[in-house]
Amino acid sequence: MRKFVMTLALISIVAIPAAAQSIRIDFPDLEDRAEEVVDVTLDADMLRLGAKFLSGDDEGERAVRDMVKNLEGIYVRSYEFSKDGQYDHRGLVDRVKSQLGATWKPLVTVRSKTKENVNIWADMRGDRVVGLVIVAAEPHEFTVVNIVGPIDIDRLAALEGQFGIPKISKERNRD
Amino acid sequence: MNLDNDLKRAMRRESPPAGFAERVMQRVRSGAAPASGAEARRPKRPPLHWWRAAAASVTLAVVLGGYAVHRQREGERAREQVLRAMSIASEKVAYAQQQVRDIGSH
Amino acid sequence: MTAIVPEAVDAGALPRAQSGDHDAFAEIIEQHEAMVFSLAYHFFNDRGRAEEIAQDVFLQLYRNLGMIESDAHLLFWLRQVTTRRCIDLTRRSRLKAVSLEDAGELRSIERHSDAFLDRRLRGFIEQLPDIQRAVVTLRYQEDLDPSDICRIVDLPVNTVKSHLHRALQSLRRKLGERP
Repeated sequence: MRKFVMTLALISIVAIPAAAQSIRIDFPDLEDRAEEVVDVTLDADMLRLGAKFLSGDDEGERAVRDMVKNLEGIYVRSYEFSKDGQYDHRGLVDRVKSQLGATWKPLVTVRSKTKENVNIWADMRGDRVVGLVIVAAEPHEFTVVNIVGPIDIDRLAALEGQFGIPKISKERNRD
Repeated sequence: MNLDNDLKRAMRRESPPAGFAERVMQRVRSGAAPASGAEARRPKRPPLHWWRAAAASVTLAVVLGGYAVHRQREGERAREQVLRAMSIASEKVAYAQQQVRDIGSH
Repeated sequence: MTAIVPEAVDAGALPRAQSGDHDAFAEIIEQHEAMVFSLAYHFFNDRGRAEEIAQDVFLQLYRNLGMIESDAHLLFWLRQVTTRRCIDLTRRSRLKAVSLEDAGELRSIERHSDAFLDRRLRGFIEQLPDIQRAVVTLRYQEDLDPSDICRIVDLPVNTVKSHLHRALQSLRRKLGERP
């Protein structure tokens, strides 16, 4: 049976530059057990470089270019496993959470026995979001994303469906 | 969805960036070893001083051309990584938003 | 199902290239560049890296032209070398990281627009284990049967079939279909 536990609500905030925190998102123990690892490490220089090559003619890429221009970093680690039970979801969430300072606030917690579990925290300066951490856990895949810098969460979600990213379809809500 | 047809479409051949063959030939001419069992045709040797200047300019063009190609590749790779990172992040955030909306509508 | 066999390169291009004719070798590159580039691109989903690999493959071809026996052999050789090079590169570096030197001002380059499903599929294919990725690429880009693929990847045909089956299962799961 599907079970969701939701806490709080997403906040739509337009952010302005402020000091931001990056966290450690490498898990060597997961890497050893994973069949595939996706590692994206983009500091400010690399983001500027990549942004120069984004197409101005493509609406989605233009949107991405606008979003990354003020960021200080984007870090992604995604571990894919060949079978269930290869990692301790709650333990990993705790490890991520333990790095978050007092300025970090939980935005969303999605828990499901059958589908994806997602935790999202935002680094806040007043009403401004200056960083984001996303932890997503599926039976065969564990993903952590750390965005450092001002970010508009609604605009980030709206990217899905543009530039070749499919919108979340009903199929994801099937049980 | 017919996965077979989708895969054939997604995996159709694409051309490399324009000038690919010429870039390979630049590397061939700049000193790749000749094919085994074959001998490269050699042009008549011009006067020595002209040859040295020509070799230097060719070498410089190859080096600069190679560096420009290298930078272009690095930039394209960075672009792919930016898109991948934003794609993953937007997917997760959108999924969470969708769950919030679904719960709110029940 | 039949394998894609391109028309023979302009008659005599191969022997002319083997005799040292650079123009003839350039013709061979132009005839096969899309195939080689696409194999690498579909493996890594990265155009920059695909060009690098494709260039290296043709340089390797140039150095080994003397051992190519026919146009059909040339096609087989290119597919095999490209595939094996991609697999080797994957195994040498499991972590797909970007590490860039300062490159200063750069021009934007032309790119294609891809249907969103195509992009999504290519992203999922890139996440497959190396042999599965190779098998899927050879099967769907080059329209090869497992009996052809097994010679390229040097594995028994039943192993190739098994890899293909697992790869398709994995893709279906990621796409959210019921298997």
